[in-house]
Order: sequence, then C-alpha cells, then structure tokens
Amino acid sequence: MTPRPSIDHIRRPQILAAAAEVIAERGVAGTRIADVAERCGVSPPALLYWFDSKEHLLAEALTADDDRFYEELEERLDEAATPGERMVALIETATESADDFALWMELWTWALRDAGLRAARERFDARWRAAIEAIVVDGVAAGEFSAADPPQAALAIAALIDGLSAQAALGDPEVSNPRVRETVLAGAERFLDAELPTRAGGRASP
Amino acid sequence: MAERDSASARERILEAACDLIAAEGIDDVRIARVAMRAGASTALVHHYFSTREELLEQAILHSFETVGEERFAEAGGEAPNATAALAEAIEECLPRPGALERDWVLWVELWLRAAREPDLRPLAASLYAQYHDWLEEVLKRGVDAGEFAAPDDLRALTDRTMALLDGLGLRALLHDPTMDIDAARAQVADFLAPQLGIDPAALLAEPA
Repeated sequence: MTPRPSIDHIRRPQILAAAAEVIAERGVAGTRIADVAERCGVSPPALLYWFDSKEHLLAEALTADDDRFYEELEERLDEAATPGERMVALIETATESADDFALWMELWTWALRDAGLRAARERFDARWRAAIEAIVVDGVAAGEFSAADPPQAALAIAALIDGLSAQAALGDPEVSNPRVRETVLAGAERFLDAELPTRAGGRASP
Repeated sequence: MAERDSASARERILEAACDLIAAEGIDDVRIARVAMRAGASTALVHHYFSTREELLEQAILHSFETVGEERFAEAGGEAPNATAALAEAIEECLPRPGALERDWVLWVELWLRAAREPDLRPLAASLYAQYHDWLEEVLKRGVDAGEFAAPDDLRALTDRTMALLDGLGLRALLHDPTMDIDAARAQVADFLAPQLGIDPAALLAEPA
C-alpha cells in the first residue's frame, strides 16, 4: 500500500477513527504513532505525513467526534418546535453517551500542559457554549426563559454537563446516564428560570 | 533511615509523587524522579511501593485523604455560622493556585484514568462519595440550624452543586479566557443562594 496525499480525504476518517480508539484505550502517553498506523493499515511515515504528533491526532480525532455530534444535534434540534424543546433535545443529545468521554478527558489533562491542545479545548468549548447560548437567547426572546444573562446560563449548563459526565464516568455509565440527564435538566431549569417541556414527553431513555 | 522516620519517609515519597503528577502528568512520572525529589533512594521507594502503578494510586489516594481529613474537616469547622462554612467550602472546591490547584490536577488525572480503567472506578467513586457527603453535611448543618431554607432534595442539590463546581473549576484550572476562579465562585453562589434563601453576597464574603 502506498498512501498518497491525494487520498487524504478517504483515509482521513479511518485514521481518525483508529486514533480515537487507540487513544481511548491507552491514553495519549501510552499511544505510539505506529499503534495508530497499524490499527488503520497505514504506514507510520504516511501517518506522520498527515499528522505530525500524537497531540495533533488527538485534536483532529476530537474535531471529527465533535462534528459528528453537531450533525446529530442539528437533526434533533430540527425536530424540536420550541426553544424549550430544543434545550431538552440538546441536553439529551449531550448526555446520551459516555463512550467518547475518555477522549475528552485526555484533552482536559493534556490541555494542562500543551498549548495547542489548550487552544483546541477553548475552540470546542466556545462552539459548544455558543450552541447552548443560541437556544437560551431564542427562549428569552420567545418569553419561554427568563435567564438574565444568556452567556452565563450557557456556561453554567455546559459546566453542569461536564461535571456530571465526570461523575457518571466514575461509576457505571449505563446506570448513571439517565440520572445525569435528569440532573442537568433540573439544573438548567434553574439557570434558565423556566420550566422545560415535560421530560415524559421526550424521547425514551437510550 | 531510622525506624521512627518511616511514616514520614512514606509520606514524603507520596508528596513528591503528587507534585510530579501535577507538574508533568501521571503518565510521565518515573520512580527515579520521585525518589530524587523525596530525597530517598529508589530502593526505599520500592520498599514501600512494589510497583509504579501502586505508587501512583497511593499518591492519588494520599492526596484525597489529605483533602478529606485536613481541608474538608477544616472547612466550616471554625466558621461562625453555616453560611460562612458554605462560603469556605465553595472556596475549597475551586482550583486556587497552590495546594488546591495541585489537588485539582490530580483529580483530573484520576477522572481520566478511571474513565480508561474500570479497575480504578471503585476508588474514584469512593472519593467522590466522600466529597459528596462532606458537602451535603455542610448544607445540612445550615438547614438544621434554620439558617438555610430546606431544599426539596438535599442530595440532588448537592449533586448539582458538585457538578457545577467541577465543570467551572475545570475551566478555571485550564485558564479559560472567558472566566476565572472568582467568576466560578460567583456563579456557584448565584446558583445556591436562592435555593437556600440567602443572599449570594453572603457566600462571597472573605472568610474571617
């Protein structure tokens, strides 16, 4: 096999999926470029041609994961009619899976020491908080929410989800995910100073 | 090393390991460097800890035991009232530069390892349960004293408060450009105070 830059667009998703798997299993520190290359059937030099470091691989793997999340989120938000329903859909989407949590934890710990990953974390967080804030602003405009400071409300909701996801990751994710969702929904109602559409009317538990 | 020094030697090694984990990340910590930092021989480190993994786990445990016994016990113990105790408790849960910041880095390392290694989850879960019980007790003291309005569900309120502290504290720890520790503290005060029927400013007052 002779990988070439011209097939980058084909290889790239495979490489990033392999990187996500290997890093989630072994951590950034325990991962070698060669491990990722082997997992996706690419030669180590070819892999290094596209991604010059493990940190770069982690950031790109998370970007791919993040893009998939927003695609799903957009579909779910399109199905929701009101800002309240969209907020519930956002919280449900964000709290449904803990599968990729280890990868995000890698980002948090490496962002403590790596400037590139710190900047990447800030970009991911800014995008996420903007997505939450957009719904808060719509809800306030529609008279559904009374949050006085939408950016602060978005920050609080994002913080609550992260904190609870960490709690869930420390226990059994299968058991804790519905609790995480309920706890975030209850917290969000307080930050938004609003009652969210009945959770009973929402989706069945994953 | 004299026999009577053995407890402090073990503690010195654990402290050195905690410092190195916080500074360099758990994956980069080597026994030889821990020994050097603790002023001990590698043989002595191996005497107390048979493997590197055991040393690192014990170091994380040590960090949280210290937090539990010293800091958590202190928080509010000498405070004049439950509101001041809660203000102190909030402060103790955020990554102020210094010892708190070091504990936070260790905490994030533990999250990461527990997410990757199911074997570590019981340890992490038990530390989390201690943290929960401590914070719930601080809140309960205020309710029992009639200082706080009784929330509907104290346990759930404690869960949400911890999650908020962790999510905001993490961002402060990572030097998020949009917020810092004081902003985190204000956010938590704004969240808790109305639910306890107190003034948020009372939770921001500098401890005496």
